[in-house]
Amino acid sequence: MAPPTPSSHRPRKKRKIAISPGSNNNLILDLGEGKQSPAFPLVSFLWAARAGVSQWLILPLVLMAVGLFRWAVSLWGYSGFQVPPMHGDFEAQRHWMEITTHLPLAKWYIYDLQYWGLDYPPLTAYHSWLFGKIGSAFDPTWFALDASRGFEDPRLKVYMRATVVVSEYFVFIPAVVNFLRRYTRMQDVHAWSASIALVAVLLQPANILIDHGHFQYNTVMLGLVVASLDAILAGRMLWACIFFVGALGFKQMALYYAPVMFAYLLGVCTFPRINIPRLISIAFITLAAFALLLAPLMVGASNTEARKAFAASSVPPLLQALPIQLDKNSVTYGLLFQLTQIIHRVFPFARGLFEDKVANAWCAIHTFYKLTRFDATLLQRASIGATLTSIIVPCAIIFRHPRASLLLPALSAVAWGFFLFSFQVHEKSVLLPLLPMTLLLAGNGGLSKETRAWVGWANVLGSWTMYPLLKRDELRVPYIVMTLLWAYLLGLPPTSFETYRTRPSLEDSNANFEPSTLTTLLHFGFYLAMLAWHILEAFVPPPPGKPDLWVVLNALIGAAGFGIAYMWCMWKLYTQCRQISRQATEEESQKKKQ
Amino acid sequence: MADLYPSLAQCAIVAAAFKVLLFPAYKSTDFEVHRNWLAITHSLPIQEWYYEKTSEWTLDYPPFFAAFEWLMSQAAAYADPAMLVVKNLGYDSWQTVYFQRATVILTELVLVYALSRFIKSVPLPNRQAAHVASLSILLSPGLLIIDHIHFQYNGFMYGLLVLSIVLARKQSTLLYSGILFAVLLCMKHIYLYLALAYFVYLLRTYCLSLKSVFRPRFGNIFKLGFCVVGVFAIAFGPFAQWGQLMQLKDRLFPFSRGLCHAYWAPNIWAMYSFADRALISVAPRLGLPVNTDALNSVTRGLVGDTSFAVLPEVTKEQTFILTFLFQLVPLVKVWFNPGCWDTFVGAITLCGYASFLFGWHVHEKAILLIIIPFSLIALKDRRYFSAFRPLAVAGHVSLFPLLFTAADFPLKTIYTVMWLVLFLFVFDRVAPVPERPRIFLFDRLSLLYLTISIPLIIYCSLGHHLIFGWDRLEFLPLMFMSSYCALGVVGSWVGFMVVYFTS
Repeated sequence: MAPPTPSSHRPRKKRKIAISPGSNNNLILDLGEGKQSPAFPLVSFLWAARAGVSQWLILPLVLMAVGLFRWAVSLWGYSGFQVPPMHGDFEAQRHWMEITTHLPLAKWYIYDLQYWGLDYPPLTAYHSWLFGKIGSAFDPTWFALDASRGFEDPRLKVYMRATVVVSEYFVFIPAVVNFLRRYTRMQDVHAWSASIALVAVLLQPANILIDHGHFQYNTVMLGLVVASLDAILAGRMLWACIFFVGALGFKQMALYYAPVMFAYLLGVCTFPRINIPRLISIAFITLAAFALLLAPLMVGASNTEARKAFAASSVPPLLQALPIQLDKNSVTYGLLFQLTQIIHRVFPFARGLFEDKVANAWCAIHTFYKLTRFDATLLQRASIGATLTSIIVPCAIIFRHPRASLLLPALSAVAWGFFLFSFQVHEKSVLLPLLPMTLLLAGNGGLSKETRAWVGWANVLGSWTMYPLLKRDELRVPYIVMTLLWAYLLGLPPTSFETYRTRPSLEDSNANFEPSTLTTLLHFGFYLAMLAWHILEAFVPPPPGKPDLWVVLNALIGAAGFGIAYMWCMWKLYTQCRQISRQATEEESQKKKQ
Repeated sequence: MADLYPSLAQCAIVAAAFKVLLFPAYKSTDFEVHRNWLAITHSLPIQEWYYEKTSEWTLDYPPFFAAFEWLMSQAAAYADPAMLVVKNLGYDSWQTVYFQRATVILTELVLVYALSRFIKSVPLPNRQAAHVASLSILLSPGLLIIDHIHFQYNGFMYGLLVLSIVLARKQSTLLYSGILFAVLLCMKHIYLYLALAYFVYLLRTYCLSLKSVFRPRFGNIFKLGFCVVGVFAIAFGPFAQWGQLMQLKDRLFPFSRGLCHAYWAPNIWAMYSFADRALISVAPRLGLPVNTDALNSVTRGLVGDTSFAVLPEVTKEQTFILTFLFQLVPLVKVWFNPGCWDTFVGAITLCGYASFLFGWHVHEKAILLIIIPFSLIALKDRRYFSAFRPLAVAGHVSLFPLLFTAADFPLKTIYTVMWLVLFLFVFDRVAPVPERPRIFLFDRLSLLYLTISIPLIIYCSLGHHLIFGWDRLEFLPLMFMSSYCALGVVGSWVGFMVVYFTS
């Protein structure tokens, strides 16, 4: 990392002892007469910790508190509860535990695909296998092959909920804790401020509602991504590759981050001078990680039993498209079948541009101008083109300036680009851009009014766009509670307007850290729209003939907001990049003077 | 000036958010009890309230609580009228659950108000300690488990109790304290356990001159007497008019129950049962007669008469005499220290202890009767705090058996551990050094005691089932738990007695 220079507005390392704990985030308000008050409620909850209480006390307390909220949310409904015949995501995950524990590896990706066939990458399959085995030790009927379909015992629910919490506490939480520790140290942020950011990140409503309410294991994938970022900050590029392959291998959605990671790693090998050995080792490690990931499945596909199973199943289109002819009894055929089948299952190219009402560009355009009139391939090309256009700039920046401090805004910008323009986007995918954006809270000035307002607004908007989904799962109350709680803790509307008010703070108020009038107007417009939408949705039935009107309206407002969030991340990336290059030139000129 | 953050209101908001999320959690039969009372008070004339017995959960709280239920039932009619039908036994539509759970959260605001009054009543130098103590009460795992999961209205009623205790601090508001306590008695008669402390304190401090016992203040006697009698007249007068007092007595004081309650509240009698149980194997060698009937019937966690195999039976009268005696002891100090609020609160705590430890058919929920008054003075100095520590652990851990479903296990354990870690740490920082040196070697013992709790909880919640299966020796974990907790409660009682009489 570039050492901060004297002219930088950042507080220097030397001053660290002298600065007050909340300084670079304006956490402490000056009420005059020597009285101080916390800037927002979350600060007051950690108020007693500002004088340097041991992390050994704060961290367990924080982890217990956020764990309690997770568990409390998990008491509520989940996706597909009492909705036969297909149920929902809960049943899908349970079903995967069922098939992975009972079937040979060769059958994992071909078994009865009509009923929640496995369509996540291998790591999810292994994860399901592990928890399926453990769960079967408690009660084998939970995961009995075929017989357990649609099983809804309350004890099974507790077990499944526990697997989500355990997975999160083994992957996501250690990753976030370590990442934030390193990141805040790098950005010269006080440990107290870092603890506050940690609570804010861990209470992110969208993550909790989807994983512990709706039921999914997104935090495992997100945790692996954060672990990868942590490894980058630590300068361990090879570990970063391994963790990122792990994330991709757990959930293909991690691809949203892949361009930035790729550009960054390539950039690291190119600037300031081309470093071929590094490039080779990165490439090798990545391939090795993928190989390791697939190895058990490949071994499982190499015996004759497996080939018999493959012969009975339809040939994956990708294999059909291969120009070579293979003997159906050769080992190579089995391996290729397995590999192409996994790829076919994990990347469903055959599906449409968008599935449900999602707050992205395509759905928004479709509302006014029906896209179904176009050919599917044309739409796919348009979508790829638009996505590429939206991500090319951040990727280029990160390639030219491979700085770890630029990663978070770049990752969020690219993930927003994917969310808005790629096809087959799910409303839950909003978690991906939200995570790096929320991690910005830990940075220098991250808890200042400006960043807090933007990150908070994006998070509230993000969970709001998922409301139609959460409503289906009977998660209205947790949605209201968790979103309002987060807004309350961070001092955001609708609970408080403090963030948008200018107040004298303890330090010299930096104009950059206050939200501008435009920001205020924009945010208030969106908060008002969300509130009005909730009132509409709750009390006014949609006009006959247009039963989905409110949902479409939700998606439209959401898409507009996410577009703005994308631009904000781009702007943030741009300014941070400018700042860094300015520092670099100043450094150089100083060296010349000396 | 000490910083008082997070404020009570902030904690109340976050805690309320958490409590709302607990709506779908396990609820005990007490939920149905209170629903039934809503129905009874809403749909029947007052004369029939204490006679109605369609449900087995008949109305057995005093009239003011019934009136409180009636008041809530007016709002309940808007939420779901079906819950107000007496015949709808076990009715729990989501509206009913939301409504009843919400009333618990809302009525707890009384506690928030009482605690804020408490903080204001404390002189400035001690205000930080009072603030911390208030937060510990507001966020108490006891209230969370009993009120917000198990289901009761303790937060509301302990709010009234705290308010009454706070009002007792100043001579000018002493009368209101007495009135409020009378009202509280007419809401839940469990507070009779503390009545003796109030009686002695009010008599000595309000009715007699502070300087001399032999100068009664007739004006005060008249005011207090008039008001307290008035409160009771309002509560019970109508029923006396209708000649229903005997029926009320039978409902409020059902003496047909056994010595120990279902889960063995951690008191002297739990230890007594444990000793009896342990003696069964030793008795033949010592030549003691063994009551063979009792061998099979020793409570297996069931409500009913406990009979002892080796040790002599305990009668109701004996428990009353013991309770009364141990209540009288601390009151001597109240009598000789008129107007001393700390002594008064200490006496309330000790009355709670005496009735909890020696009472007949004590419920483990009654532990709040000790913990909450004690919290108000636990931060007086470190000696108080070291007596409070084992109580905080034992008292809350003893509530665990109230919740037994798998989904509740993480809630109750993690919340309690979090509370204990947080507040024992903060208390330790805030509690001032005592004026006199500490005299007992209690600290090491209490540390040992704290550490034992961890393996014990693991054993009782998981280990036992792994070793013995789900249905063998099922009373054993409960017995270990309550004996362990009884040890803590008794230990803290002895410790506090010493502190109380030496300070």
